[in-house]
Amino acid sequence: MDLYPVWLSFQVATTATGLTLLAGLPLAWVLARRRFAGHDLLESAVMLPLVLPPTVLGYYLLLLIGSRGPVGRALGALGIELAFTWRAAVLAACVGSIALLVKAAQAGFESVDQRLEQAARTLGRSEWNIFWSVTLPLAWRAVVAGTTLAFARALGDFGITLMVAGSIPGMTQTMPLAIYDRVQANQMHDANVLALIAVVSVTALLMGLGRLARVRF
Amino acid sequence: MRRIALALLLVAWVAPAAAGPAPQPLLIYGAADLAFALKEIVPLFEKAAGARVAVVLGSTGTLAKQIENGAPADVFFAADERFVDDLRARGIVIAESRTLYAQGRIVLATSVKTGVSVTGLGDLARSEIRRVAIANPAHAPYGRAARQALEAAGLWERLRPKLVYGENIRHALQFVETGAVEAGLVAQSIADVPGIRAVPIDPALHQALNQYAVVVKRSARPELGLAFIHFLIGPEGRPIMRRYGFRLPGEF
Repeated sequence: MDLYPVWLSFQVATTATGLTLLAGLPLAWVLARRRFAGHDLLESAVMLPLVLPPTVLGYYLLLLIGSRGPVGRALGALGIELAFTWRAAVLAACVGSIALLVKAAQAGFESVDQRLEQAARTLGRSEWNIFWSVTLPLAWRAVVAGTTLAFARALGDFGITLMVAGSIPGMTQTMPLAIYDRVQANQMHDANVLALIAVVSVTALLMGLGRLARVRF
Repeated sequence: MRRIALALLLVAWVAPAAAGPAPQPLLIYGAADLAFALKEIVPLFEKAAGARVAVVLGSTGTLAKQIENGAPADVFFAADERFVDDLRARGIVIAESRTLYAQGRIVLATSVKTGVSVTGLGDLARSEIRRVAIANPAHAPYGRAARQALEAAGLWERLRPKLVYGENIRHALQFVETGAVEAGLVAQSIADVPGIRAVPIDPALHQALNQYAVVVKRSARPELGLAFIHFLIGPEGRPIMRRYGFRLPGEF
């Protein structure tokens, strides 16, 4: 049977988690350490993807990045295709999972004693340096926990991916979509194998990450 | 170290695009009622044309929506003509490629598992039939035909509380196959499977399901897509389509 969906899912979830970290960590830091007009609005907006039904999110995302959407047209002019490619699956996974990382990391950053950061500041460290050498190491566990959650959510996304990436076999059909497809076709054996792989691999991965985070600190 | 990881991530993101277009298979978006027929016809065409073909199945409406939003389909096999004409009006498909390829029928399907037997639509009102599956009439032509048949038989209002909507016709059949519902109105073309009993329904009860195929404008290989449509209604495809209960152009 075709195991491509498994490989694709891990590739998509890994890339998505990387991008989520890139966007989510600065966002979490800003929410934890800066007060500005619109702070609470931003904080609520970050939570929206968790609250909205995934298909609704996917639909609006498709309106944006579809071939007739503003983002889709702009990218199309540059020769980049996003909707219905594996990149759209990555985007879907990012949108679905970023809130989990941001909330966990924000809580982690907020729990760091600000006097330690101020001490670093008096020693002439830059804000950038303080983040990497003081804040992040102290909030490490929360960030790992958030990253793990985000990865798990990215791996399991169904609704958003279905809307923006379709379910094209060998191209955008990720593991959750493949399982749904096999069940519809009454190919229960294939569906069961895929589901088993999903459960075993994710459990192993989460256990491994959990252990790693504990051993390191 | 961090910078290297970052750079690697960016490369992983961009690389597939930079590698240039890999030889993509001819992508066929097909209504779910074609599931079995395409499974047999596609390998024959691949051999005859020396091209790879991939199939995406779904409800006609869902697939049309995806194509409208830029899905990379080369050919679209709809289960009716409405959605095809809608795409044509929007200039998304090649108007001249629009081809009538089959006429579909609906059947009343029950699972051997549940032990319920029916002989006609009227039986659906019986109390031992607690649920009836149809495809979503809003975007699945076979669901629309099922609704029309039930309305024509004067059963729609009475059966409404029992109805379960499948996302597409294959999904509706799956409800019946698993015994989750006692009966379903599904496409004849997918109902000939073990464990399913199918009773034909008078086609006069619903609008004819005239199924049209069309080549999508953005396709890089419109000739190959057109060749596939002709193959399906040609000497190779015809007997297979007929075996799955489709009526073919010139035969109805």
